[in-house]
Amino acid sequence: MGLEQYQGDMEMCCRCSTCKFIPMQMIKGEQYANACPSIARYNYHAYSAGGRLNIAVSMLKNGFNYTDRLLDIVYNCQMCGACGVSCNYAMDMEVLEPISEFRIKCVEDGQTNPALEKVIAGLRKQGTMVSGAKGKRGDWAAGLDVKDATKEKVDVLYHVGCLTSFDKNMQKLAKSTVKILQKAGVNFGIAGNAEMCCGGRAYQMGYREDFLNQAKKNMDMIKKAGIKTVVTGCADGYQAFKVLYDKYNLKGDLEVLHISEYIDKLIKEGRLKPRRKVNLSVTYHDPCRLGRLGEPWVHWEGKKIPGDRFVFDPPKSYRRGTNGVYDPPRDVIRSIPGVKLAEMTRIKEYSWCCGAGGGVIESNPEFAKWTAQDRIDEAVSTGAEAIVTACPWCEKTFNVALKDNGSSLKVYDIVELVEKAI
Amino acid sequence: MALSKEVYKEFEDVVGEENICDDPVIMPAYFSAEFAAVMLPANTAEVQAVVKLCNKHKVQFRPICTGWSGAFPKDIILLDLRRMNRIIEINEKNMYAVVEPYVISAQLQAELFKRGLNFCIKGAGTNCSAMLRGHGHMDQTTGGDDRNHLAIEWVTPAGDIVRSGSLGSSDEWFCGDGPGPSLRSILTSAVPPGVTPGVFTKAAVKLYHWPGPAVYPVEGVSPNYRLGEIPPNMMARYYSFPSVEKMWQAELKIGENEIAYELMGFNISMVAANITTSNEEEEETFNRLNKEVQGPGFFIIIAGNTPEDFEYKKKVLDTIISEAEGKSLKAVEDPRIEGILMCQCTRVSASIRETFRNGGAFNSIPIMGQRDLTIRWAIGAGKAKGPLIEKGLIVDDGGAFFGWGVEQGHLGKTEIFCKYDPLNPEAKAAVETWQKEQNARAFKERYFASTMGPQDEIGPALSNYHLWWKKIVKAIDPNGVSPEGGALV
Repeated sequence: MGLEQYQGDMEMCCRCSTCKFIPMQMIKGEQYANACPSIARYNYHAYSAGGRLNIAVSMLKNGFNYTDRLLDIVYNCQMCGACGVSCNYAMDMEVLEPISEFRIKCVEDGQTNPALEKVIAGLRKQGTMVSGAKGKRGDWAAGLDVKDATKEKVDVLYHVGCLTSFDKNMQKLAKSTVKILQKAGVNFGIAGNAEMCCGGRAYQMGYREDFLNQAKKNMDMIKKAGIKTVVTGCADGYQAFKVLYDKYNLKGDLEVLHISEYIDKLIKEGRLKPRRKVNLSVTYHDPCRLGRLGEPWVHWEGKKIPGDRFVFDPPKSYRRGTNGVYDPPRDVIRSIPGVKLAEMTRIKEYSWCCGAGGGVIESNPEFAKWTAQDRIDEAVSTGAEAIVTACPWCEKTFNVALKDNGSSLKVYDIVELVEKAI
Repeated sequence: MALSKEVYKEFEDVVGEENICDDPVIMPAYFSAEFAAVMLPANTAEVQAVVKLCNKHKVQFRPICTGWSGAFPKDIILLDLRRMNRIIEINEKNMYAVVEPYVISAQLQAELFKRGLNFCIKGAGTNCSAMLRGHGHMDQTTGGDDRNHLAIEWVTPAGDIVRSGSLGSSDEWFCGDGPGPSLRSILTSAVPPGVTPGVFTKAAVKLYHWPGPAVYPVEGVSPNYRLGEIPPNMMARYYSFPSVEKMWQAELKIGENEIAYELMGFNISMVAANITTSNEEEEETFNRLNKEVQGPGFFIIIAGNTPEDFEYKKKVLDTIISEAEGKSLKAVEDPRIEGILMCQCTRVSASIRETFRNGGAFNSIPIMGQRDLTIRWAIGAGKAKGPLIEKGLIVDDGGAFFGWGVEQGHLGKTEIFCKYDPLNPEAKAAVETWQKEQNARAFKERYFASTMGPQDEIGPALSNYHLWWKKIVKAIDPNGVSPEGGALV
């Protein structure tokens, strides 16, 4: 794999600018028409997907000229994939994959971002993406009577994730999840201190080797423990286990579910009953890596058929965001008595990013906050009292933006909402 | 040629440090040209100041909006107008909207739909500037081209601000021709170069009644969007005809009876492109539908203001179609396809499927004039595509053309293009030869194609307009800082 394999895709870019906006049919007015935070914030076409592709293809032909501006373009992108969804409504070409490969090439060439280097150094040393993490990964579970999945036989491994494990403000999500799973009578466990970073965020930052390292370690542990089903509490973890591990042929037949999918299943099977009324109007934020980027990987290998069209043998199926996880979290929210769900303008496959992805929360926190702020404004415009998400990174970023905002909007993870109802 | 530090600083003082960049790494994002710098002005005052500096330092500039491919000279300053993206006013009473250049059509139209209004979106697509002049799907209702531009705020190449039409004598945008200076022939020229020197910083566009929904009930997940229901009093169909003459007769009668909200003379290849989500699916669908149609055809949307109006229009349509021996394409009668075509064609949101998806490029010849005559020309251009199709150099669309009548349908636009892989030099050369030859044929047979150029060749046949144009350009651009060419899309 490498950037070169996407040259044909990149050369298909006709510079039409649709990658900057949500799918045209879904534009409902002057506001909230943007899809890509990077071009919305930095304005030069170079900060759009089309711009990045055209720069990359030019450099493939003319040589790589790394300047501060180029690295600014490369790293000020949440890798959220909204560009690809909008482009792929009309076009048959890869969009996010070459952008991701461009970043990987930068890292391989030593053209890194200092803040991301620090995070990766922490991963290599402490095994977590949370810089300055203190304590042990499984400390949050003390006294909760949770099985150790590396030692006891369980049906489900709950993969907690770095942020929820180490950030004291986020550990509540793990505790809520435990309460929900216990209430439903699920035979589950955690890996505790043996849990490892999924590597997904390292991949987003361009550190493919570090990602593969983590992926192999995780899958070794999972195979050794005989685990068949993993439920992740975070969208990054979900995408890593479900999509990226599969992309690199590491997933095998492991079943991967996000906690929102699993709760939805428990409710639909009658194993979990949200009975308690929660009087709250909410809007739901689709995390990028649960939604459009949570779409299963499609294995494909083939060659372009010579001729007039950009077609392949065998035919290529593009991941256009169609098969992401959109309905289960909404069904869970709707199942809670008293909760009213109002949708934002940008939802599902064309949802606006929270701002945290691609390492931006570490490399350019102001840009992450700016992106989150736009989402907060959009949430407020629905009249909802709270924004519900399904990823701790989103919750954290929204809370940072809200500190400066003065809005009374509340932020919940979906597990917090469910916990209130059981 | 890089700007000197001192000159760079002068520009930077106008737009701010964050909004000027001369790092060559960003240039390929725009076009394959080495620009002196790219700037992001925020408003008319900044545009004016930048243009004045360009005159002072004799540096050429070119503005751009969302911007498709184009040929740009080296060493110019590229004015990326992205930060000028506000809808300034929607005047419901006087039926106009005022926009800055980077408002895309989809944004303006969505705001207008909520108010029961619409405007002429150009065929280039709803992802392009709402300010763009030209023709589009809804020309039967909205008319086309320059008549939809009302007052315009224009920074001339010399850096003066000119306010045309009613804006020149008041603060009102309702008219492009007065009271105040009418500069229509300069500002919205249809003949080459087709783009006015200088920068349009605001323009008023004419609005029209929209009988459809405030918001289309789009459901599903991309790329499989569909309408939850066909909006009341609306219908979309595709009709094919036994001959070009029959099709033209039907088109003309539909125009004269003023029953179509939209009449778009799609060929069946374009229908296939619109309703499919991949190249493979499109090819299969084209081959299937091509067997079902009896000849050339058009796509039509009927929209009634009331149930009675809708019934009346449908009845008239049935009569016209029957008299012309038209045949409805069954695929489009399927509400799933009918709905999404209706939405895509009024929102003009799938132009890229029709043009770029197949091979990555297309070369087009648009012909304006009396529809039946231009169709005759296009049939010849279509036949000339045959050998290219046979050699596999361009996409097989059956050699088809497309087009539509404007307003009552006598005049209209007919267009034909070749879709191909631009990385295949043989295909590129063949398409360019085809385009050159067909342009020459159009010129020889006294048709007007905006792609004909160059001015020195066609000018003598058009009252020597090019000589006058050169004088005008010299007067408004004394330092030659606003080069010709390109397109403000």
